[in-house]
Amino acid sequence: MFEYAQPEVLVSTDWVNQHLNDPKVRIIEIDVDTKGYEAGHVPGAIGWNWQTQLQNQISRDILDRSGFEALMSQAGIRDDDTVVLYGDNNNWFAAYGFWLLKVYGHRDVRLMNGGRNKWLNEEDKRLTTDVPAPQPSAYKASQDHPELRARVAEVLEASRQRSKSLLDVRSPDEFTGKVIAPPGMSETAQRGGHIPGAVSVPWAIAVAQDGTFKPAKELHKIYIEEKGFDPARPTIAYCRIGERSSHSWFVLRYLLGFDDVKNYDGSWTEYGNLIGVPIELGAPRLVKAS
Amino acid sequence: MTSTLQAVAATDHARRVYDNVFQMLPCEENPSPMVRIGRLNPSSTFALFAKLEWMNPFGSIKDRAAWSMLAALESRRELTPGPDGRGIVEPTSGNTGISLAAMASVRGYHIRAVVPNKIPLEKKVLLKICGAQLDVINDELCPAPGVGDGSINLAKSHAKAQANRYAMPNQYENRANVEAHIRTTGPEIWRQTNGAVTHVFLSLGTCGTATGVSTYLRQRQPQIKIIAVQPSEGHDVPGLRNVSQLHATKLFDESLIDEILEVDYELAYIRALELCRVEGLLAGPSSGLILEGAQQVIARETDGLGVMIFPDNIFKYTSNLIKHVPELVEGTSP
Repeated sequence: MFEYAQPEVLVSTDWVNQHLNDPKVRIIEIDVDTKGYEAGHVPGAIGWNWQTQLQNQISRDILDRSGFEALMSQAGIRDDDTVVLYGDNNNWFAAYGFWLLKVYGHRDVRLMNGGRNKWLNEEDKRLTTDVPAPQPSAYKASQDHPELRARVAEVLEASRQRSKSLLDVRSPDEFTGKVIAPPGMSETAQRGGHIPGAVSVPWAIAVAQDGTFKPAKELHKIYIEEKGFDPARPTIAYCRIGERSSHSWFVLRYLLGFDDVKNYDGSWTEYGNLIGVPIELGAPRLVKAS
Repeated sequence: MTSTLQAVAATDHARRVYDNVFQMLPCEENPSPMVRIGRLNPSSTFALFAKLEWMNPFGSIKDRAAWSMLAALESRRELTPGPDGRGIVEPTSGNTGISLAAMASVRGYHIRAVVPNKIPLEKKVLLKICGAQLDVINDELCPAPGVGDGSINLAKSHAKAQANRYAMPNQYENRANVEAHIRTTGPEIWRQTNGAVTHVFLSLGTCGTATGVSTYLRQRQPQIKIIAVQPSEGHDVPGLRNVSQLHATKLFDESLIDEILEVDYELAYIRALELCRVEGLLAGPSSGLILEGAQQVIARETDGLGVMIFPDNIFKYTSNLIKHVPELVEGTSP
């Protein structure tokens, strides 16, 4: 009864190790701290920089379609390739990359369960500093999926009407407004707090001590039984810049099988800078998501 | 001349001349100084001493672990001198890196130090002065289960990806860290107190000091009390770990610690300043924290002989100190 809804989107470090030379498998590392890839990465993995390669460099936005196609083409990825993503911090930005690939309709995308840290700490896994030079492809995005992305108007409406569940995945201190951002972050907002109606479930609660996702049964208990999220109800996840919420978006959409989950990539750095929008402060309320 | 000087080295400390900086490293015959605490000791029946680890040649208690780990790597022939040789990569909050970098530079090994961004600028610059290449990591983004310490992970990545270029001593797992204190710090304390020591006050970082000192002294005096003093959560005392952060080290053995006292980390800076101004001991914040812990224990126990292990001095923390004591900046510019 309690299996991941789509278990095929998760691969183990051992699976990746067995497919290092599989021409149909493309491995991509996306880190929070981009020094990680340079220090050493999975053999054959290409490194993507979330700051310079996954975002529009002029306006604040995700890559547009042509930019995305160029990124995929430079990495030598073809439409029918299996793309395996991994990264540091329990796959924060790997999950963001997963979401981006799904927004542009790539069919076969997977996360390496446990991420960079699990690979690093396994004796039989190699790291290399060799940077691959793939033969560029002519990638064409198949179909856009804007329904995976929440924009601020929809978030405001969801909050005002309580028409959709809002999931805040940031740390408790960010949720309550005690801090605006985790220490050391340069991207920040003018105000702290959370979107009215949001329920706090910090992203890390989905992860076991070894960095892998918790079993389906535990995830079901946390999100559905305890926090009251309803798989049949539209849900929007947000954090600060959209990467931690991608992680929870992945949990709800692919591991728990929610029908309609969106990632609000503008997240708190957009919402907390808007003039005149309602903000709630203080501890998580006892009410459930639905 | 040299040989004459050498001849007196081991027997007459007053006339000792050292052939090289490594001979200055502490050991039972050449212990770091221990000084009695005066006015800051609230008791006349509980004697309190500070063991001044900043008197070690590279400025901190970490000289001991660094030398022990380096010697172990050399004995296994794991290092080769020169820019293209096999050098060292190490995660550090500063002191171990500074000791290792100075030692490695003398030996001709290249060294890469991976440090959290939150350590004081003084330590980063000192690492570079001593010849280390720096990697600075933004730690503490958001609590992440099982991820461990970003600087440890990055150092491990270098060591794993370029094993021919880097050996990683890894002070958080290396038994040579503990053995350094079994071999030197513990015996020094025992001898300097004529075996009368009843309490040792120390801090927790890699836990090499706590585990090593406790292991040695418990063999000599099973009744000894080992008191660890830790800063409250959210602290900014470089090098120390709150118990919630101790998962990063494999050298922590709770059974060797009698008591862990948690102290408000602001007090680390306040007590350090008191040590500077009242005792003339230019102690760093971790020493201030340890003093606060010792004072708390002395307030409830009638007699004893306590030794506080003061890891380093204040020189590397002036930029941290002014955040906690803003008046120190007043009048420092025209």
